[in-house]
Amino acid sequence: MGFLSTGFKSFDTKTQGLETKSTYLIVGSKDSGKEMFVYKLVSSLLANKADVVYVLTRKSSTDLVTDINKTGFNLGQYLGESFKVLDDFSRTISPTMVDNAFTKVLNGPVDLTGLNVAVSSVSNEFLRNGGEVVDVFDSLSQLLIYNNSPTLFRFLQFVCGKSKLSGVTSIFLLDEEMHTPEINETIRSLIDVVISLKLENGKRYFTMSGGQKEVLDWSLLE
Amino acid sequence: MSDPFFGVGKLDGDLDGFPPQKTVVINASPDVGNEVFGYQISHANLSNDKKVLLFLNRMSPAAYLAEMKEYNLPANDNLKIIDAYSNITGIKSQPTKNIVAVDNPYNKEEISKKLSAELDAGYDLVIFDSLSLFSDIFDIDFMFSIIDLVNSKIKDSKLSSVMLFTDWGYGEDVVSRLYKSANATIEVKGIEKRVIFGQYFAVVKCDWIEKSMPRTALFKAVKPGGIKIYIPKILVTGPTDAGKSSFIHSASKTAVSVDKLGGTIALDHGHIDFDGYSADLFGTPGQERFDPLLELLGGEAIGVLLVVDSTKPDQFPRALEMLRKTETFGLPIVVVANKADLNGALETDDIRKRLHLEDSVPVIKTVAEDPSSIDPNQPTKLKSEGVDSALRSLFSQLT
Repeated sequence: MGFLSTGFKSFDTKTQGLETKSTYLIVGSKDSGKEMFVYKLVSSLLANKADVVYVLTRKSSTDLVTDINKTGFNLGQYLGESFKVLDDFSRTISPTMVDNAFTKVLNGPVDLTGLNVAVSSVSNEFLRNGGEVVDVFDSLSQLLIYNNSPTLFRFLQFVCGKSKLSGVTSIFLLDEEMHTPEINETIRSLIDVVISLKLENGKRYFTMSGGQKEVLDWSLLE
Repeated sequence: MSDPFFGVGKLDGDLDGFPPQKTVVINASPDVGNEVFGYQISHANLSNDKKVLLFLNRMSPAAYLAEMKEYNLPANDNLKIIDAYSNITGIKSQPTKNIVAVDNPYNKEEISKKLSAELDAGYDLVIFDSLSLFSDIFDIDFMFSIIDLVNSKIKDSKLSSVMLFTDWGYGEDVVSRLYKSANATIEVKGIEKRVIFGQYFAVVKCDWIEKSMPRTALFKAVKPGGIKIYIPKILVTGPTDAGKSSFIHSASKTAVSVDKLGGTIALDHGHIDFDGYSADLFGTPGQERFDPLLELLGGEAIGVLLVVDSTKPDQFPRALEMLRKTETFGLPIVVVANKADLNGALETDDIRKRLHLEDSVPVIKTVAEDPSSIDPNQPTKLKSEGVDSALRSLFSQLT
């Protein structure tokens, strides 16, 4: 079992980073910094030669690239190489949106089969390179808007199982405030490790439960 | 006018198309999808002047028609679409003479009513792009009520139906009930180890033919082109002088090499018909100066024979490098431990360990035929026992 650096010194010191071939759920309120955490994680992964598949459900790939570049990390050299985007958002507003060099445009959040086939296909391409592959699902909450919860649970169970089988590390974002405690609890039960984030007095904190190295008390994220 | 048909040669050949008043379920695993069968069946029948009704709840009509075009399977004016998708997204469904809009795709009554009305309108074929979404969005009972509605309409018309279903784990009872509701069932699945390296369809039920089931075929969904029966490609790779050409020439009577001064400089190719399998073997050059070719040669391979010289463990890192450069990590693999009878040859367990391979990876010994029969101008022939064993071992992983 290897570990992937998140790019956050305090996090990596306490946890060794993310265990490869595991599934992670990143939760927190809207201002907790989930996206910021993932963008920095993606930057770190790419810099360390991992391959990343990024599933988008609430913004376009152009917006994602802009947002990551704003963090100071230049995605340019990785686009279409070790970083590929699956855009499950754009066709909900523009049905004839087409692919570009680093983005495959999917049908939309109702077509979970199309999403699963695309994730599996791109991950397989990366796996054949022999390196670490990380799939990021940003986010489950958007999929829950369009699909009922049992459907989403079946999808998640299947994706997590496949992820283990193929040796991919998968990361799911969830806005728990949007869903019932029962839905949140079921999703947590399907995933190996839960990373919780919060913003307090202008500083960000994290906990991590379920992994080999748990951090159960809120710790500064920096 | 002829009956509806699949537009997939293998299916039409095996099943003789499908007669009117029949329902066909195409059940895919979530990894492979079955939507291209819908595009192809739709295109083939539209092109044959059939009137086709499409129930669409997975994507917008514009996106569906664009996808059909990308596969070079375009639709025409004979297609009518019930759009039960657009109004659940930010796209407003636009009714036209070819599109019936479902105003509220979450309303069972509206869906049933509009579908029922269209089914009475004299179509030859109705295609459900995603039957499983009836279950996902509503419930299993509603999905079966839709099937019952279609089957009741079929009885009194010339209509046939194709229902695309994705099995997300609804349970054996659901799948069993679904199959009982259909006249024919085709399963679409992936072949996988760590990665999916192929997909196949299998006709598991058909009540209008006498042929034995299941009838299976590997296939690929190609843009443009649609469903194509897939002929497997097996890559034979390994370091210089390990015996790749010898293996291919021993396995195939029709093997050819592009070589110069005794070393393969481009590729070997050999076709084999063995143990009921038909396959093409593609050999790579071993010399580092040809490494730029390796990715190209490794493309589309679904299995790997890694040939190593059992007496030269110093070449094993190069063997692994070639796996990486051919981008074949994760595919089914057999290690061919050649020259296993020479002094200094390592045992199979030692070879597996030094190559850092899992215990499940087969390592098969091969040896040359009688040295007195070796022609210095031809690749050395290997004894058939080892060659056959290696092929058999790889094929068993592929099925």
